[in-house]
Amino acid sequence: MSLRKSLYTIVTLAKINTRRVFRDRVALFFTIGFPLIFLFVFGSLNSGSGNVSFNVAIINQSNTPFAKQFIKEADSSKILKVNKDVTTLSNAEDKMSRSELDATITLPSSFGEMQSGQTYPSGQATVVYTENNAQSAQALSSILDAQFKAINAKYVSNITPFTVASKQLNERSLSSFDYTFAGLLGFAIIGMGIFGPINVFPELKKMGILRRLSTTPLKVWQYFLATMLSQIVIGLISLTIMFIVARLVFHLDVVGNYFELALFIILGIISILGIGLALGGWAKNERQVAPLSNIIVFPMMFLSGTFFPRYLMPDWLQHISAFLPLTPVIDGVRLIATEGKNFTDILPQIGLIGAWIVVIYFIAFRVFRWE
Amino acid sequence: MIQVKNLKKKYGDKQAVDGISFDVKKGEIFGILGPNGAGKTTTLEMMETLRSIDSGSVFIDGINVAENPDKIKYLIGVQPQTPAFQDKTRLTEVIEMFAAAYGERVDAMAFLRDVDLEDKAKSYVEELSGGQKQRLSITTALVHGPKVFFLDEPTTGLDPQARRNLWELIEKVRAKGISVIMTTHYMDEAEVLCDRIAVMDNGKIVALDTPKNLIKQLLKRGFHKDQHVEQANLEDVFIDLTGKGLRE
Repeated sequence: MSLRKSLYTIVTLAKINTRRVFRDRVALFFTIGFPLIFLFVFGSLNSGSGNVSFNVAIINQSNTPFAKQFIKEADSSKILKVNKDVTTLSNAEDKMSRSELDATITLPSSFGEMQSGQTYPSGQATVVYTENNAQSAQALSSILDAQFKAINAKYVSNITPFTVASKQLNERSLSSFDYTFAGLLGFAIIGMGIFGPINVFPELKKMGILRRLSTTPLKVWQYFLATMLSQIVIGLISLTIMFIVARLVFHLDVVGNYFELALFIILGIISILGIGLALGGWAKNERQVAPLSNIIVFPMMFLSGTFFPRYLMPDWLQHISAFLPLTPVIDGVRLIATEGKNFTDILPQIGLIGAWIVVIYFIAFRVFRWE
Repeated sequence: MIQVKNLKKKYGDKQAVDGISFDVKKGEIFGILGPNGAGKTTTLEMMETLRSIDSGSVFIDGINVAENPDKIKYLIGVQPQTPAFQDKTRLTEVIEMFAAAYGERVDAMAFLRDVDLEDKAKSYVEELSGGQKQRLSITTALVHGPKVFFLDEPTTGLDPQARRNLWELIEKVRAKGISVIMTTHYMDEAEVLCDRIAVMDNGKIVALDTPKNLIKQLLKRGFHKDQHVEQANLEDVFIDLTGKGLRE
């Protein structure tokens, strides 16, 4: 078959296959809807992160104006999220034991009263916490301590020879949503590239559709290329929608070059699809593919940082997971999209993906069966 | 058109096809009959390049199947036992897709017209009845103009109307000069349709001749059946009551 005819074969198969996916509501849900749901869930979990805040209850037993002022300020504070339903210590203790509250601030009845012979109010607030919340309680204590120091300075002049000033740099830092989003794109690519073929291929074999195709001159590489082409089209559409939602709803800041990003995503889709083609192409039926895909796909999904960033893992695990096929895809997307890196900056990622493509497709061609 | 010589295939301990030989002429309808497990499908699959050949040879249009499977694929059209297509594909797209597998661009409507499916051109394949799927499958097997057409039990599970319609279609294919090789379990079908029949059992051909000659030979051997000369049978009654028109 001439190259031109070969190309016509591939494009025609890819075109019809792509149309079929857009007619199939279930397929559309799994390729586009499902990742979007994850985006909304994980996006909402992450929104507002970066600002530390504490869930606290304030048990106030004092009637002094100072105590009232303290509560008012606590309410309007960004750092404290005051749970107003909690009014007794026992209720607070219960909620703290379930980690619904980080700590409880108690103000004794004498809080803010003028002690005899003094010209300023005084008192001691207590931060009550349970063992599982020790860290946040300590952080909260030092924050309160600093605030009281500022108040103290108003009443009692004192000299502070040493001070600490903090200065914010204008450089952009990554929010955890940037990591989450790149991971979710990886999840979407896995969904299409692996779960697609491992569900569809055994079905096509069972129905004898692939067998019928094998009586035509159609070659395995042509069939793979056609599948790849339609996956790239569908994948780019699905991921574009995710980018639009992430920008509009979750204020993702894309600083990279969109053209490079698209090229890189195509590279990622090709490498991950290879895993699906190898598994689905090898399996004679669903029963064969299910355990294998569980062994390969799920560990890869978690270790490559789809649902939580890889930097949370212990070092030794990070060193191993860095070499998984999906890791350079997720890292590369994040580096280009949110860190504005160019292809020349991410050569290690591109090289690793390239190496995996060679290995994966070598296996996929070897193990493919038409029936 | 086809020469099969001393063809053999073994699955484990079982000799599925045990040294069979036959020729098929151009434009001939050749039937392979036999009980289940006789080796019919295996024989077909070896001729279709789907199974490797243990020993012996198959030549189609002078080309050795074992040596040139890629060339053979352009010469043959295959109708599987149960035709299946992917959901959400329009009939025209099925034709385009199979033609594209051969690198060809075709007028899909013309091929649908050949099998009376032009009304369904824009339907999805899952909306077709069993008989319609068979007809679609036949026309997809002919998109590239093959010289040999294989059918494996094409009428199993079809109603009498659809069966007769399929016979007409097979006759039409033969009229184009295409050699047809089919397997079937229906003797009436073989008798009406096939020019010659090979009867297989245990991987061997036990008889090979025209249906008429096979019957004559049996009678010569002294076979005797009680004569009931009936002017009609139950199928005639059925067709008379329900008409010849195709039901979908």
